[in-house]
Amino acid sequence: MRGRPSGVLLAGVALAELALATVVVWLTLESARDEPRLIGATLGPFIALSFLGVGLYAWRRRPEQPVGLLMIAISVTWSLSGLSIADDDLLATLGAYLSPLAVVLVLQLLVVFPDRPIEPAARRLLALGYATVLGLRLPYFLLEADFYDGQCASGCPQSAFLVSEQPGIAEAFLLASLIAGLVAVGGIALLLRRRERAEPQAVRYAVGPVQTAGAVLIGGLIGDFGLQLVELETLSALSGLVALLGLAALPWAFVVGLARSHRTNAAAVARLVQDLGATPDGGVRDRVAQALGDPTVQLAYWRDPPGGFVTREGTPVQLGHVPAGRCVTLVEHDGRRIGALVHDAALEDQEGLVRAVAGAAGLAMANEALDAALRARVDELEQSRARLLEVSLFERRRIERNLHDGAQQRLVGLALQLSLAREQLDRDPARAAEQLDAAREQLAQGLEELRELARGIHPAILTDRGLEPALRSLAERAPTEVALTGVPDERLPEPVEAAVYFVVAEALTNVERYAGADHATVQVQRENGHALVEVRDDGVGGADPAAGTGLRGLADRLQALDGRLDVESPPGSGTTVRARIPCASS
Amino acid sequence: MRARRVLIVDDHPAVRTMARLLLEDCGYAVAGEAEDVAGALEAIGRLRPDVVLLDIQLPDGDAFDVLGALGPRARPDVVLVSSRDRADYGPRIETCGARGFIAKAELSGAALAEVLA
Repeated sequence: MRGRPSGVLLAGVALAELALATVVVWLTLESARDEPRLIGATLGPFIALSFLGVGLYAWRRRPEQPVGLLMIAISVTWSLSGLSIADDDLLATLGAYLSPLAVVLVLQLLVVFPDRPIEPAARRLLALGYATVLGLRLPYFLLEADFYDGQCASGCPQSAFLVSEQPGIAEAFLLASLIAGLVAVGGIALLLRRRERAEPQAVRYAVGPVQTAGAVLIGGLIGDFGLQLVELETLSALSGLVALLGLAALPWAFVVGLARSHRTNAAAVARLVQDLGATPDGGVRDRVAQALGDPTVQLAYWRDPPGGFVTREGTPVQLGHVPAGRCVTLVEHDGRRIGALVHDAALEDQEGLVRAVAGAAGLAMANEALDAALRARVDELEQSRARLLEVSLFERRRIERNLHDGAQQRLVGLALQLSLAREQLDRDPARAAEQLDAAREQLAQGLEELRELARGIHPAILTDRGLEPALRSLAERAPTEVALTGVPDERLPEPVEAAVYFVVAEALTNVERYAGADHATVQVQRENGHALVEVRDDGVGGADPAAGTGLRGLADRLQALDGRLDVESPPGSGTTVRARIPCASS
Repeated sequence: MRARRVLIVDDHPAVRTMARLLLEDCGYAVAGEAEDVAGALEAIGRLRPDVVLLDIQLPDGDAFDVLGALGPRARPDVVLVSSRDRADYGPRIETCGARGFIAKAELSGAALAEVLA
């Protein structure tokens, strides 16, 4: 029954319940019983028709919420309980037996209102209520003929369910059901009270009338049951009348709440629009919180590029998984996404209000979104600058170590070798000559190591001859077969050429060390003022760019040029490193 | 006079070989070689050399670790060598208990004799 009910269905339900109510009024007027009929003939149908009318309206307005159908059910069970006035034994017994059912339905209505799931504690208490009404009270009608128990003066109907007359046992069951009913009603009253305090103000204002009527009803019921237990019949009846008034007020309280929420929503949005014009920097959140009556509301700002939400401080936030009890409403302005409101899920029922507030906040949030994006950008730059410094320190340490372990040791060895040759020159010229040959060999190796090191700092071939020859020499030195395509002939700005070179160098080093690949391709293209580099291999894949310093250092280097690095490396399917570097700067 | 027995400690095999040849040429007896702190301590205990030619930078520590572990008593003469500059180590060279310092490229029997004199 989640779709919108058709007019025919609504009319059918309305007519059936109207007919039932008419029958009850007729039975009341025709009753041979000697008891006041005014309340039965007026307040009774008034309650039934109030619930029917408001229930039909609520069902049509929000078919996905249980409130409408519950109200209609209350109307019908209430009318059925009116049958207890009938002269006919069966109708009267049925009416009396079913009469408290409406009460449990009303409790359920208060629990789910305006649109809440039934929490486990409430579920148990409601189950106790239904079990008491339909189960625990049944033996009373099976064992007691005069179920009015002296409350009706003459012409009293007899129980149509009677099996055997056992007044003592019947009385015990009646007592037990009164106590159980008291527990169920009292428990639910406590739950409702606790929940009420936690609600956002806008929600409290809208549901307040229903909660007040509910409180009167529940208070009356507790008084009624409790006073019955201590056998204060007159006071109990009076308390029952209070409950009846609460019940009668309930549907109208619902209508009042609805009107209130429309009125306050309009006022809140109007105030928000007015206030936002004069809002100091950063005040949008407070204004929105005030308009929604939800002090916990949080704003998130859309950042594009690169896409994603950030806080006002520029910290990235994930809105895909908000905690339970929270809800996200997107904010747009001129058809553009600006950000989102993260608010109490209880406001979901106030969809119109939240949407209007989101709409009104759009322009102000658009300004703040620029701020937030800027802050996020500054954060990123600060981080990447710090990492660049770290990378450069790391590089200097690496160069120092390379010089010390490589060239310096070679030169030391060379010096010692020359000393040795000098010592032996007179005594053993042949050995001295051997030492000199070895020294020359040392020198050649040292030179090669120095060249290698210098290339790692900045390759001369790149400066002198450009990107294509530099990449070709990288490709030729790699042990893997490397195909080089599409390298532009014209010179690019020097930092861009260097970045492209080191992306390829690092990627090929990784191919050699980790990929176990047979082939690699290197492709460089110019596109829309960007240099696009792609290094792809057919190796084992599974590379993690976050794990090593090499790719991370490259990513930072590229970020300094406003470029970006992406690594795609599914296990078993090779690795693709892509870099995109803007060429505009020089 | 018997030749003084020298232990050469350096992590580069080429340098050890060269040092051995240079020292032997000048009449020293090379008792053995070691390539790290642990090896040096073991060899000193086992070979009881008169002189230890000790490279400062070693893979598992440095020469000062070796001197610290030896303690002040019954210690061979320790001569530090390094391919770095003496100034890189500051005053530790003087205070660590070593007899002296020789830049690695200037190593020779004569240089050693001068330090030990």
